Amino acid sequence: MSRWEYFLKRLLLSIPVLFLVITFLFIMLRLGPIDPVAARFGPEATGADVQRMRDRLGLDDPLWEQYLQFARDLLLFEGQSWVVQANRPVRAVIYDTAGPTLWLGFWAILLPLFIGLPLGFYAGLNPNSWGDYVASIGGIVWLAMPNFWLAVMLLAVLRQTDGGGWFGFDWYQLGPELRSITGTPNLDWYSISNVSVFDIVSFPMLTGMDWGAFAVDIKFILPPALVLGSASMAAELRIGRTAMLETINSNYVITAKAKGLKQRVIVWKHVFRNALIPLVPVITNEAFILIGGSVIVEEVFNISGLGRTFFLAVIQGDLPLAGSLLFMFTLVIIFLNILQDFLYTIIDPRVGYER
Amino acid sequence: MLGSSNDTDVDNNRRRLLAALGGSASVALAGCSAILDDGDDDDTDDTDVDDGDDDTDPDEEEGRTNADKAQAAWERIVDNPAPEDQDIRDEAFIEIEEAIRDDMILLPLYHNLEDRFWYDYVDVPLTGALGAHHQVHTETEVDGDDELNLINSTFDELDPIMSTDTASSTVINQIYETLTMYPNGEPEIENQLLEEYEVSDDDLTWTFTLKEGVEFHEGEELTADDVVYSWRRTVESPNSERAVFTLDSASGIGIAHETDDDGGVVPESLAVEAVDDYTVEMELVSPNPAVLDILTYSSFAVIPEGLVGDIEGYDGEVEHDEFQTEMANGTGPFMYDDFTVDQEIRLVRNDNYHGSEPSLESIHWEIIEDDEAIFTYAMEQNADIFGIPTPQYDPDLIDAEEDDQGRNVGTYGPMENDETAEYLSVPEISTFYFGFNARNVPREVRQAVAHATDHSELVEDIFAGRGVEAFSFTPPAIWPTGPDGYEDWLDEWPYAMNETDIEGATQVLNEAGYTEDDPFELTLTTYDDAAFQEAAELTRQKLAGTGVDFDIEEAPFSTLQDRGEDGDLEMWTLGWIWSWEDVAYGHFGFEPKNTDTSVMPEESTGYYLDWQTELEEEA
Repeated sequence: MSRWEYFLKRLLLSIPVLFLVITFLFIMLRLGPIDPVAARFGPEATGADVQRMRDRLGLDDPLWEQYLQFARDLLLFEGQSWVVQANRPVRAVIYDTAGPTLWLGFWAILLPLFIGLPLGFYAGLNPNSWGDYVASIGGIVWLAMPNFWLAVMLLAVLRQTDGGGWFGFDWYQLGPELRSITGTPNLDWYSISNVSVFDIVSFPMLTGMDWGAFAVDIKFILPPALVLGSASMAAELRIGRTAMLETINSNYVITAKAKGLKQRVIVWKHVFRNALIPLVPVITNEAFILIGGSVIVEEVFNISGLGRTFFLAVIQGDLPLAGSLLFMFTLVIIFLNILQDFLYTIIDPRVGYER
Repeated sequence: MLGSSNDTDVDNNRRRLLAALGGSASVALAGCSAILDDGDDDDTDDTDVDDGDDDTDPDEEEGRTNADKAQAAWERIVDNPAPEDQDIRDEAFIEIEEAIRDDMILLPLYHNLEDRFWYDYVDVPLTGALGAHHQVHTETEVDGDDELNLINSTFDELDPIMSTDTASSTVINQIYETLTMYPNGEPEIENQLLEEYEVSDDDLTWTFTLKEGVEFHEGEELTADDVVYSWRRTVESPNSERAVFTLDSASGIGIAHETDDDGGVVPESLAVEAVDDYTVEMELVSPNPAVLDILTYSSFAVIPEGLVGDIEGYDGEVEHDEFQTEMANGTGPFMYDDFTVDQEIRLVRNDNYHGSEPSLESIHWEIIEDDEAIFTYAMEQNADIFGIPTPQYDPDLIDAEEDDQGRNVGTYGPMENDETAEYLSVPEISTFYFGFNARNVPREVRQAVAHATDHSELVEDIFAGRGVEAFSFTPPAIWPTGPDGYEDWLDEWPYAMNETDIEGATQVLNEAGYTEDDPFELTLTTYDDAAFQEAAELTRQKLAGTGVDFDIEEAPFSTLQDRGEDGDLEMWTLGWIWSWEDVAYGHFGFEPKNTDTSVMPEESTGYYLDWQTELEEEA
């Protein structure tokens, strides 16, 4: 079986998964106790107005018709939100909210990679040293701090540095100036225009960068990304340490040492890649957690993103929006799974699809 | 009901005497009256500790229940709608309040206090009891800045007929205008687009003359046709969420119209007509004294004729999606600039405004829901006017005095950022309460809960002082007989005001046959709110061992509402917020025949009380 056949098979297998997810969500939201109309009207709802809205949303249609409509809108991303951003097309909602979440998620994965992994490898290379103890214990403490608490504390601490805090440290003035540490990042530092080649084909291309705005957005996203990535940072540290320890004590390392290779070559060329193998699923799995975990961080830092929108949609019975978002998450997860398989074949050439 | 008011007077005299004897503390007062009641006063309902037989009002005719009293009173309100009959209606309103109190079908807990903080470089008029969302920022000034920065909750509609929340109407009120308004939310109506009005002798035909020379943001002049079109949209557009305010005469204006077989309004049948360019004539189903109040509601805001094609006869210049969030064209002092749903919205000044032009160049709202984020944004001085979420709120920082409108005005601080903010707290026209379903909960149990409830403890300990104790459904700000009448009302509260009267509770329960060993099982459903959960828990603890066994459950708001409409609640927590200053707008939900949950929500629109089960004819 070639690599591509394997991927095709994976894709086909994901269709029944998608179908189950859609159906399950429909049953939970449509037949559950949550009434989107009541969620929309609040306590001043009256019979006639409620009925009008039920008619408009099609809530009194036969259930199978509602299901078909739901599934169709979902596959084409054509639905309209019912409650959370009432009447707005799902596409517009996703367009507004996806950017900030991707930006947050990107940094929440990147930060742990560049902090957690090196620390873990360092600890693994120097087992039972002071450095190892500090890193390991720090990792456990870091892991134990729940995101909602960490987020609130970070806000409270950074907020108080406004106008000069301890030792004159002012987060707002440090580097690019921030107006607020809460809010949704602008993400308008790039400009994309359609570039046409000989007037035949035209394709979008990055044509300009506003580095100042870029820096502001990075600075802004660092605290929430640090919170969101805190758990994975600690996980990567601990697994990285173990993986490093295991690899460094394996036979081929002894052989390499006997061959007279330098320590630097052994570590970077041989040990590093092998130690990464158990970390691949950890890192890709983080991406799944980030989608769900971003709810709290987005809420506390007031970032209008996918996680918070999805959460609101689910608790308010906003079927089309919740469905479309879940559908998108499922697509992302399936894609990440495939990416994970692909990464394996690159890092570890022994892994293949041929029998 | 002359007898009733006489008795009240007698009672008041005695009360005043007691007040003179017993000092000002209400606790002392109640204890005092309990002793005096013993011999000399049979017809009082001051306390239930000693005279156990006053479950029924002494003024009652034989066999007439409190529900009957409320039903009769409501019918009198409906039958006497003329402006000169205000006294008859006021008396009936008080009777409904009495029926509610004596039957304890609903226990008012507190009226919300709306507070507001702003930095000293902001100059903003004080707001009134109808809420800060009525404030149009024409007089607001920010020292050293052309932009006013505010915080708002999430909302996603600038279409006036979709607006049901204060978040959207705060913004809509800057862009669009209605015929009348409450300036700064104070309970006195002023004309906005209206020049003058006339009412026919039968009180059914209203003729409005509009101001001339009012222009929309895009330059067209406002005419009567725009008003007709805008009001038609409130009932004909599928997007309308407040059609009831236009059509229903009990909880709205009640404009005449025809309905089709499905219950929808026949297009163009709404009895609003443009007589000439500046005159609008409106025909009502029945006389309604609150018309000018109701017209302040955002859904009656005027948009240019034909802007959206969601009613018959118009193609629309823009799609409704676009109208909802991407543009606006009103007559107000501020114009649409930019709106990113759930993030921020900015309005800019309308240089062509027909009223006094604002000095601000623009207003910007950051949309924030989370307490921590709101507080952070405010402490960073990014918001000029803000609210402080309860977790970060410290009552000790307040230094304020009450003004003649019952508002507290002063300062709050120093806050976390060492600044001291200006402070205002206004008792809002709202009531939060424990409701009871009459079918599921016997009167004695309801009264026992009232005996055990200590309002001041609830407000101080659980709601952090951000409320005013409520002893009536209708808030004191709009009490039918004014502040003095309300004082008299307070004096008559029969369930031990501001103290926990376990003895009284036990006695009522025991007489009804509920004891510690054989208690009444009562389920209390609260909505998703930590404070109400605490209040429920407190009530449960107090009544433990008296003959009521509580089971507390929590339900999301929408679920609570659904179950209420199914009659599937026993005791619950909810609130009612008045959109305009009209007692009837709260009382229509108490008409016993309108509380029948078996036909809710289609035919009845009241609270989930099932009070009709206690009507004499039903029993």
